[in-house]
Parts: sequence; structure tokens; C-alpha cells
Amino acid sequence: MKVPVEKMRNIGISAHIDSGKTTLTERILFYCGRIHAIHEVKGKDGVGATMDSMELERERGITIQSAATSVQWNDKFINIIDTPGHVDFTIEVERSLRVLDGAILVLCSVAGVQSQSITVDRQMKRYDVPRLAFINKCDRTGANPFRVREQLKEKLGHNAVFVTLPIGLEDKFNGVIDLVNSQAVYFEGEDGTDIKRLPIPAEYQAQYEEYRTIMLDELSNFNDDLMELHMEGKEVPVNLIKAAIRKGTISRELTAVFTGSAYKNKGVQVLLDGVNDYLPAPTEKANWALDQSKNEERVQLECADDKPTVALAFKLDDGQYGQLTYVRVYQGEVKKGQELRNMRTQKRFKIGRLIKMHSNHMEDIDYAGAGDIAALFGIECASGDTFCDDKLDLTMTSMFVPAAVISLSIEPVDKKSGDNMAKALNRFTKEDPTFRTFVDPESNQTIIQGMGELHLEVYVERMKREYKAEVKTGMPQVAYREAISEKAEFTYVHKKQTGGSGQYAKIGGYFEPTTENDYEFVNMVKGGAIPNEFIPSCDKGFKEAVKKGTLIGFPVVGVRAVVNDGASHAVDSSDMAFSTAALMAFRETYQKAKPIILEPIMKVAVEGPTEFQGNIFGSINQRRGVIVSSTEDGQFCSVIAEVPLSEMFGYSTVLRSMSQGKAEFTMEFEKYVKVPESVSIQLKKDYEEKRKAQNK
Amino acid sequence: MVKAQLIKQSPLRILDASTHGGVGVGNIGVLAARHGLGKTSTLVHMATDKLLQGKHVIHVTFAQKPDHTIEYYEEIFAEISKLKGLAGAMQVHDEIMHNRTVMNFEPKFGTPSHVLEGLRARIEAGGFPADLVIVDEFDFFHAKREDLKQFRDFANFEALELWFSVSLEQEGDSAPQPVPHVLEKHLAQIDVLINLRHHKDDGKVHLELVKDHGNTPTDMHLILDTKTLLISQE
Repeated sequence: MKVPVEKMRNIGISAHIDSGKTTLTERILFYCGRIHAIHEVKGKDGVGATMDSMELERERGITIQSAATSVQWNDKFINIIDTPGHVDFTIEVERSLRVLDGAILVLCSVAGVQSQSITVDRQMKRYDVPRLAFINKCDRTGANPFRVREQLKEKLGHNAVFVTLPIGLEDKFNGVIDLVNSQAVYFEGEDGTDIKRLPIPAEYQAQYEEYRTIMLDELSNFNDDLMELHMEGKEVPVNLIKAAIRKGTISRELTAVFTGSAYKNKGVQVLLDGVNDYLPAPTEKANWALDQSKNEERVQLECADDKPTVALAFKLDDGQYGQLTYVRVYQGEVKKGQELRNMRTQKRFKIGRLIKMHSNHMEDIDYAGAGDIAALFGIECASGDTFCDDKLDLTMTSMFVPAAVISLSIEPVDKKSGDNMAKALNRFTKEDPTFRTFVDPESNQTIIQGMGELHLEVYVERMKREYKAEVKTGMPQVAYREAISEKAEFTYVHKKQTGGSGQYAKIGGYFEPTTENDYEFVNMVKGGAIPNEFIPSCDKGFKEAVKKGTLIGFPVVGVRAVVNDGASHAVDSSDMAFSTAALMAFRETYQKAKPIILEPIMKVAVEGPTEFQGNIFGSINQRRGVIVSSTEDGQFCSVIAEVPLSEMFGYSTVLRSMSQGKAEFTMEFEKYVKVPESVSIQLKKDYEEKRKAQNK
Repeated sequence: MVKAQLIKQSPLRILDASTHGGVGVGNIGVLAARHGLGKTSTLVHMATDKLLQGKHVIHVTFAQKPDHTIEYYEEIFAEISKLKGLAGAMQVHDEIMHNRTVMNFEPKFGTPSHVLEGLRARIEAGGFPADLVIVDEFDFFHAKREDLKQFRDFANFEALELWFSVSLEQEGDSAPQPVPHVLEKHLAQIDVLINLRHHKDDGKVHLELVKDHGNTPTDMHLILDTKTLLISQE
């Protein structure tokens, strides 16, 4: 069936971990008729929520990988991407947001705006995603959606406006007041499917009037007719209110706030009406690509079926039938039997099977139009690849991929596990650009790199469960860097005579620290002292040298290598002679440039009940952490600190035990800074010992 | 200019001299002004001066988030280093900002006992040897006499200096009093009181010393430069 593009919605559900987003998704699927029974995330029936399709996710009760599904609510067709909440899996969130036109920001009415909500919100801003807010868990003890709405305004800077209010709170929560339609809405029956729209109870009349006035005041900024009617005290028609909310939401100048409890089956259907009414159709959001034939000039795409195809592979999944590639069609259409080109590999491929996904069930389709999300079977590609019609030379803008900060050595326990491990690593690196792997040439060990301890832990678990690859892991290793701290001049002559033509190269210049790039090469040779054809050889030699510093064997960053003098020999000079001279010049001069060791510093956000504030401060202090700020709002405190990654290993266990499991933390890479002298000495000593052991 | 010279030549030395060595350990200083005159900038300049001397500072605020105060520190430091051509400014910045914490309390929950509990947790459990605590926009209007006494006891116990700021919103437009009404009942607990006041004759914001321990206050000839937001000589 061909879905009209104006009836499509591509939405994500993003939130802090444990805010109830998987439960909310589960309810959405149920009310839209996609599933026929509700399973809880950590439910006693052992089935687990439908969107958490991976076994590991079900066990941990968290959503690790996005699962895509399509549903229909009234006359609209909604593609939902369930996004993970933990910062360790941020790339998944970023990838999801990239392809979305709108999102629901789920907030807990007890915990309010937490550190992860701030991170997710920042990511949504980066991709210009309009959002609705759903204040969940209104049935919980301590629920205060009014405080959460204040936090949305103050902490996230949203122009947050209630469109539904709770009727009662905590154990008395039993419905919502719909400020748009001026009705009390109750969700009756076992699963809340029996919706009763009744007049607003007398005891909520005053609150309704107060918040409806606030809502109309705000909406006056988006519609002149509405403003006029409101100013004159006349009745404002529902369609005018909806149009104003839609305009405010799409322009991201307004966030409509819904209240409810997904767990108690209340408020979800009203939120779905909101998705239909207020979030944009694919045509209402501008999307851009880069024209490779015009030096990456930005080109606006047209969300129309009759244009040449541009689609983005935003997620790969390895199922029992082979690789499943989720694509967002930005322009044109994707059809069974169609030929497209992978812009990265320049290889053409034919679409064999096209499907719509419902969590882990699938439905075959023949066609996906502009703006839609679908999945392709058996396409060899990597996540982030652009598929284009042959007429075009476009790629979607590259996604922001942060550098890896942690590495772990892994070793298969037997030959079979070794084969399976290779398959798993091949798959994971394609799925997740922040997950990298390589074989250390010195130790011959396989190293995996990622964004945090939990990130790598989950992949090791997945190897075991999905690929039957049992591996032994080493201690996590921090990705240190080396850098020079002073300018140092060099002159180096590389001379070798071994019979026949020899090797001769002389280079002179200096190294100096730079904060602009990891490595920079500057050619200031005058008068042909080094022939032009050998200048790139010098660059090549330096590049090779900075790959591994001599302090602790990590890459050297922030180096500007300037060559300003040299000499050559008509017969004995060669590319190899000059690159060797450059390499040796760097090694010889390195100590003169006063090298230092840098370590990754993480921005850590710890949140927990105020009674554990002292413990939290103490734990950060013990880890060489610097507390930047703390915020206390009565029940909860949140601490923002900068802590070296090397000190964060095992922190989740420590934090859990010191706070009776009530505090949690998230972290993300912040910057590299120089390690203290004592740590530097220890690292150098460890490196020396390791080298000696290897040489034995 | 190197850090040592910067400290020596700071206009804050005039403030120290005028107040007989500054507020002093275990004592309380108060900066009073109407809203928008530059209380936070003045306090942040005082705090930055302490940080440059290698001391530790806690800055208490009562807002929804602490970012605004952190930005003040960044701006004031940038102004000082630019104005005085501070050598190795980046390195100095990284060094000194390690010794500063901003503690933010949501206004509703920022009661004196709550703030003191948080400060103790930061200093004792968090191993942060604070030398100066700034309590920005303290609610003197609702504070009881005993509250300030509690703060003084805390300052004595922890061997640190306390600076408060107070907004004079409720003072009205009548002729300015040397001691703002809101501080009258607390005056006995205050060791140094400075009013930040806009003088119509020269259009400048002056730092007026109203109370200097037991001494007669003198004219410090200090102003708040509204361009750089730094304390400077008249």
C-alpha cells in the first residue's frame, strides 16, 4: 500500500535510562494493534518488552540497540525508532535522531530532568528534531510533573507548555485533563483501551482554567487569529489551537507537554494523538546532502517519490537470514528489483527483498516512498552509507563519530570461538562506528576499542550469546596520548653505503606543539635544498614516527613538523631515504621537545538522593576527579565532575554499593589533559617492564 | 605579566588594605547592591583573586543550574588575563579552575541548614579544603539571626572566609541607607559590609565600605568597571 507522505511520521523515543521509554513503546505498539498483549520490561512473565528484541537487553532491562517498527494510529503511519538511553551507546541515539523528523522526550515525573535527558536533548538540538515531552510515571510516589515542566524550562531551555494535566497524582492518578479539547480523559478497562471523555470535574476546573490560559498565552505567539480571540475572551476553536501547537513544535519554539503513566496505561493514546497532530511529516523538515561532483556542495533534497533516489543506511542488524539494513528514504523511492549505488564503495546492487519491521517480526513490502523507513535484505554495506540513483553523486552529511577512549584485549578460548569472534567483530564494526578492532602487531592480541567500559562489556557479551564466541578479556586499557611541550630543532643525515647505490638524505627543521591539529606538516624548504619529489617522503616519515611515541608507546598528537633545510644526492637519494631520515629525526629529537603523556578526561554526571551527596563527593575526590558543579533540588543531587578515565573502572559497582543502588552515573569523553608527574612515572615504568618482558 | 605580579598589582590589594587584611578567617563579609549592578561579577573577581593565590573556593548559587556562574568565572578570568597579558594563561586557567566548585541549590530547597549540610559534605567528605565560600544572593530577608550565627560557626570550624551577596530589591527608591534595612538585624554578625552603588554624578558603580570590623570605614576609591566587569581603581 502506498502511504501518502503527509500521513507519515518518523519518530524516536529518547530518554534517561529507566524513565520508562520501553514501557511506553510497548503500550504504543499495543494500542496501535501491533501486539496483542502487554509484556513488561522486567516482567514476571519472562517475555520482556517487544522492542527489546535482543536477549541481553531483556535480561538487563535496558534498551541497547535501536529497534525499528511501523505502526498506524488513526489515519497516520508512524515509524518508531526506540533509542538506547545509556551514554555508552550514544552513537545509536545519534544515528536514530539523524533519520527522525520528530521525537518524544520521556521524563520521569519523580526524577525529572536528569543528566542523560540533557545529553539526549543536546543531541536532538544538533539534528533539529522537534519534540513532544511525555512526563511519565505520574502514579509513582513523589510524582511532580509541575516541577519537571519547570526543569524543562530552566535546565533544557524549552518553552514547555502543558497540553494535558494529571487528574490526581501518585496512587490517586487516574486520568488526564486535555487542555486542547477541554475534557477529562479516563482510560478504563484492563489495558486502558476504553477511553472515556467526560466534562472536567469541578475540583479541577480552576486548575484547568489557569493552565489553559497559560497555554493560550503561549500559543498566541504562533497564530494571530488565536491571539485575537484569546485577547477578546472569546472561545478559541480546537483546530486553531492544534495548528498553533503544530507550528510552534515544528519550528522548535514550543514543546507540548503530556502527562501520564505508561505502566498504568494512562495518557498514552492522547500522546499518540499529539504525535499525529503536532509532529512533522517528512516533507516538513529540510534535509541536505553533499554533492560529491561539486566539491561537497550542500544540496537540499526533495521529499518526493518522482525524484532520483537518495537513501541512508542508518542501522545494520545481523539476523538469521543475513544482514538487515535499515534505510531512511530521503528522496525518490526504494523498490523491489531496483538498482542503486553505494556511494562509499561505488558498487551497484539490486534490491532483492524489502521489508517493514515490527520489532523482531517482519512484513514484506514492494515499495517504500520518499520519507519512509524500511529495511533491505542481503545488502553488503556499512552503517552510514548512502545509496543513490545512478544519476546522482550525493552523500548524506557524515555523522559525528567520537574518538574511542578505551580498549580491551580479547582472546578466544578455542579455535571455534576464534572463528566466531572474527565474524562477530566484522559485524559489530559495521554496525557501530564507535566500536573498533585491530590486532596489536607487538603483542599479536586482538584489541577492541569503544566509548566506555559498559560499551565493550556489552559487545563481549553479545559475542558469547549471539556468536557462541567465548573470549578471555584483558584489563581495560586507556587510550593515552603523547605530546611534545616545547619547540625543538633538528638536523639529521641518513647515510648508508652497502655496495651499489646507497641511501642519502639530509633534513633540517623543527617540531613544535600545536593545538589545532593532531599532526601538521609544513614545507618551508627554499631553493630546492630538498627536491620537490622528496617532500612528501618527509611527511610520510614523520607520520610514521608520530604513530607511536617512545615514552609509553601511544600515538603522539599536537605536533607541527616544519622542514626548512636539507640536502640530497643525485644517485643515492630516494623516497625511502627521506622518509627514514624524517622518522629518525623525530625519534632523535623527541626527548628535546620535552614529551608529556596525556590522558582522556571524562565528563561524569552522578545523580542520586541527597543523603548520599557526601559519598558521591568523596568517591570523585578519590578518583583524581575535579568537581565542576553540583545541584541540589531537595530530594536529588547531581554532581558534574571531570575524572580521568583510568580512574573510572569499576565505578558503577562502587557507586551502587555506596548508595544502596540509588545513585547512577553517565559519562562522556571531554578532553585530553597532561597526566600528573606521579602517574607519568608509573606509566613509563609499566611500559618499560612490558617491553622488557616482550623482549625476553 | 606572570601570576605573582598579577596578584601583587591587583586592585583587590587595596580592598585588603582598606579592610585591615580582608574579611579574615572565621568572619563574614557582605556585598549589598540593587539587582543588576554587578554583585556576581564583583564576587567572582574576588574569588578569582583567591584562586590565583592557590586557594580553594566554593561558590554557592540559588538558581536552576550552575552554568551561568561558571560562565562568569570564564569571562572574568579571560578579562583579567587579557588586560594584564597573563603569561601561560591557558595553563593558569586549568590549574586554578580545579580549585573551584560551584554548588547550586534550587531556591525552594536552599535553606541555611541545607546549604551548610551540602558545604560540609563537599569540604569534609569530598576532601575540598575551601578557603573562601561565596554565598551569592542569600535571602537575608527571610533569614533569622541564628542562621548567620550558624554560618559564622561553620566558617570558624572550617577555618575559611565567607562572603555573601544580597539583593536590595525590597529597599525601595528612597535615599540609600549606609546599612540596608534588610541587613540591620544581622549587622552584629557581619565583619565587612560593602555597598555597590551607582553614582549619578560620575556614572560609575562604586564599592563603598560601610563596615570594616571595628574600624572606621575609609573611602577605598574602587569601582566596578562596567565594561570589563572587573574591580578597578577609581
